[in-house]
Amino acid sequence: MVNDLLKLAGSDAGKMVIGLVGVLLFVVVNALLLTWAERKIAGHMQRRIGPKEVGPFGLIQPIADALKLLGKEILTPAKVDKPLYYLAPTLIFVPVLVSFIVIPFDASLQVADINVGILVILAFSSITILSILMAGWGSENKYSLIGAIRSVAQNIAYEIPMLLALLPVVMLANSLSLREIVEKQQGLWFVVIQPLAFIIYFIAGVAETNRTPFDLPEAESELVAGYHTEYSGMRFALFFLAEYTNIFIVSAIAATFFLGGYQGPVLPGIVWFLLKSYLLVFVIIWLRWTYPRVRFDQLLNFAWKGLIPLAFLNLLITGGLLKI
Amino acid sequence: MVNGLIEEIKARVMGAEPVEVSYTEKGYHCALETSPDKLSGVVGFFDEKRFYLECLLCTDYTDYLELVYLFNTHLAPCRVKVALKIDPEHPVAPSIAAQYASAYWYEREIHEFYGVLFTGHPNMAYLFLHNGIDHYPMRKTKVPVPSEDQARLDSFKPGEEEDTFFINLGPQHPSTHGVLRVVLKMDGEYIERAEPVLGYLHRMHEKMAENRTYQQFLPNTGRMDYLGAMSFNLGYVLAVERLCAIPVPDRAKFVRIIATELNRICSHLLWVGAYLADLGALTPFLFVFDDREQILDVLEGVAGSRLTYCYFRFGGLYNDVDDEFIAGTRAFVKRMWSRFSLYEKLVTGNVIFINRTRGIGTIAKEQARKYGVSGPVLRSAGIACDLRKIESYSAYDGLEFDIPVGGHGDVLDTYKIRIAEMENSLRIIEQALAKLPGGPFMAEKVPKKLKPPRGDVYQVVETPRGELGIYIVSDESDGPFRMKWRVPSFSNLMIFPELAQGVLLADAVAILGSLDLVIPEIDR
Amino acid sequence: MIYGFIQGAASLIAGLGVTIRAFFQPVVTCQYPREVLTISPRFRGHTKLLADAENPEKNKCTACGICVKGCPSGSIKKVEGEKREGEKRKTATEYLLDYTTCSQCGICVEVCPFDALGFSHDYNGAGYKREDFHFDLVKQLKRSKVQ
Repeated sequence: MVNDLLKLAGSDAGKMVIGLVGVLLFVVVNALLLTWAERKIAGHMQRRIGPKEVGPFGLIQPIADALKLLGKEILTPAKVDKPLYYLAPTLIFVPVLVSFIVIPFDASLQVADINVGILVILAFSSITILSILMAGWGSENKYSLIGAIRSVAQNIAYEIPMLLALLPVVMLANSLSLREIVEKQQGLWFVVIQPLAFIIYFIAGVAETNRTPFDLPEAESELVAGYHTEYSGMRFALFFLAEYTNIFIVSAIAATFFLGGYQGPVLPGIVWFLLKSYLLVFVIIWLRWTYPRVRFDQLLNFAWKGLIPLAFLNLLITGGLLKI
Repeated sequence: MVNGLIEEIKARVMGAEPVEVSYTEKGYHCALETSPDKLSGVVGFFDEKRFYLECLLCTDYTDYLELVYLFNTHLAPCRVKVALKIDPEHPVAPSIAAQYASAYWYEREIHEFYGVLFTGHPNMAYLFLHNGIDHYPMRKTKVPVPSEDQARLDSFKPGEEEDTFFINLGPQHPSTHGVLRVVLKMDGEYIERAEPVLGYLHRMHEKMAENRTYQQFLPNTGRMDYLGAMSFNLGYVLAVERLCAIPVPDRAKFVRIIATELNRICSHLLWVGAYLADLGALTPFLFVFDDREQILDVLEGVAGSRLTYCYFRFGGLYNDVDDEFIAGTRAFVKRMWSRFSLYEKLVTGNVIFINRTRGIGTIAKEQARKYGVSGPVLRSAGIACDLRKIESYSAYDGLEFDIPVGGHGDVLDTYKIRIAEMENSLRIIEQALAKLPGGPFMAEKVPKKLKPPRGDVYQVVETPRGELGIYIVSDESDGPFRMKWRVPSFSNLMIFPELAQGVLLADAVAILGSLDLVIPEIDR
Repeated sequence: MIYGFIQGAASLIAGLGVTIRAFFQPVVTCQYPREVLTISPRFRGHTKLLADAENPEKNKCTACGICVKGCPSGSIKKVEGEKREGEKRKTATEYLLDYTTCSQCGICVEVCPFDALGFSHDYNGAGYKREDFHFDLVKQLKRSKVQ
């Protein structure tokens, strides 16, 4: 019996199942942790404490919040386009889960090392936009609609520099597999060779996750809550969960591509990986609690007139230098 | 200025009989009576002379209604009261909204409260009241609303149009700071037309005043503008002191200045925080609250309250300041001077903030005059009009401070002006503390029951948001016969529809925030 | 343009410096239910009756009703008193204050010719129904004596 199970676990399908369960667990724990961290960091940056009553340092607070959201009545506004409205919060999870499959947490800790790993992530992350558009359109709310439209324009604009910033690394590593890219950084992190690409990627990543200063789709002072204005209870929590997981994914890819992934002395690989990723997550949170929001046209101008030409230039120079 | 003006009016405007009045007694320099057919000539004269319409109000004297137009110039105070008597049975007057944009709302307000019909006004719809009224609330006798007026008073309803859609910014919306509703006609992200809808916080303070004694109305003043409660308090006590000719001891004057300036800093700080929150930055909000808390602690120590202070009394103060207050104020001033560099780094220098605010909502000088805007919004257009200096009251004339002005009239200018005003307020407080005289804090022999002589007075003060004017008519009873509040936010909001035309939704929020609106003050 | 770009980037980094410094500075908030700030002596809570200096059992109110007339909001609903033997004036036996409409303006305190009213320092104004705030100040004074 036990042997059978071990055998099953050793097989490819079994590995996939265990991996998926692990990913799901990680997604939830990560999101809970990040909501806590966000509030705590925001608190201290504003000279206050943040959550502190539930559990030591308020650590249990996210669980209490999750319970509250679970216990809420699931409201469906009368005029919503039901299929779209119901599907959107579920669909937003697909790219999140798929991205985790290819991220190497450690040399041997990866659900599947697909040789076009980065393409999988970039291709699937576009689905996020689709679900945001569905949420905005299906809600039959003008604020939601504007939020969704903004989100689409923003994501299309920022996906390009993001891709263009990752390409030089792919060229340097000569591979699309994430594990190989990490292995290639044994001596030197790519951030040293490609600092501009790193900065462009990071800015585009912040914009992709709809975080301040690029949080236009949910700009609360203009659009109330943007595309999830009409969502409440657990459906709202799913959007929230996806948002925080996306932050982690963006940071994890940045760590993998530019900061040497799980490479590092003394400590085990996974610790290095998480350390680097969460450091970047901290920076993203830090940005949010420092800056005001940019305006819509400025955001698009910045991407099309600033980031994309710069990323192209960087790509050309890298390509040229590699040829020599 | 006044003499020359009187001569000129006599020469230029047919049949006008301007008389000079004592400014110290009345609060205006010159009064003149006119008739409906001559009104447009009089108004045209003032328009040509670059006067702005300060206030337009109506008083019901039972046997006649009196419309009062107050005209003034920005840089040299010369307030002219133009009175127009009309028949209460058939209250009709010509509209001056074509000449003065600020009259547009004032005339609507008078129409719904008094039933005066302004001929030539483009839209006589409700401004404050909703769902129909059966009689005009401010009339002294019960006058029913005729059915044709009921239809006219129908409140704003957006129609259906192709390719555009309507958005309700409010009444519950994060960036309207209260219950203001703005109906926006949108073309995508661009605003085609903006129409503010008021009255969600309408409490009819002006009617309340008619049913109360002068003392009893005192607590109401702070409830109108809860962020600049001291200034409103000060304006009211100054008006009543002018009406009853009550002298104020020097110590009280200086304490009033210190308290009002502290409150001004408090209000501007809150504006900085709330405005940055509008633009998406939430941390400055908490930082300004930290500073604001220090002021509130100091003021609570003397006034006993943290928001609606009600600290001033006719002839003086509620109670004297103690050493603790002076030490607390000194400590705050010292702390505040060192905080500006932090705001400079976090906000003023920030490239995102500058890009969001530069060149947005630009106000030209002429536009500012037509709409009668005041306060930092007016000064951003480059007009150095600060009533503390130009129409000095209390003991401001003995203190040194600057009037910060902007050059572009955009939103960034209003921000910079408010920051500079805080610095100037600190200077005023320092000087007032140094000069603070001893002696009584309350005038002797202020009667418990005030019975002022018959007549009217006007009193202005510079609140954090701009010019506050209080017009009181006394009929020798112990309460006001009529009290009109000319509030700064009301005039400042009037310019919003014009500024918002054709801008992005995000800019509209930035413009709306820069006006520093306090909704209970607009709605009264 | 490049200079502007560098300046912009520098301003963004300066902003980050402000928040990270605040992050490591001590908090300034008061952890309210755990710690309580001292209330300033002039704090205006709801009104209370003051006890007579000579006879702490007795309040100073003579039920003259001046405060009832003075109140702008009509919050003082009923003031009644009775004359005890050997005393010149009445003493209040009932003083009903409707705190829900009171705005703590203090006019009643100022008009009182006997200085019988003062401000309490009670700031925890929360209750489940309106009647929780219909105070009888005479009873409140007695209760505070017991405690």
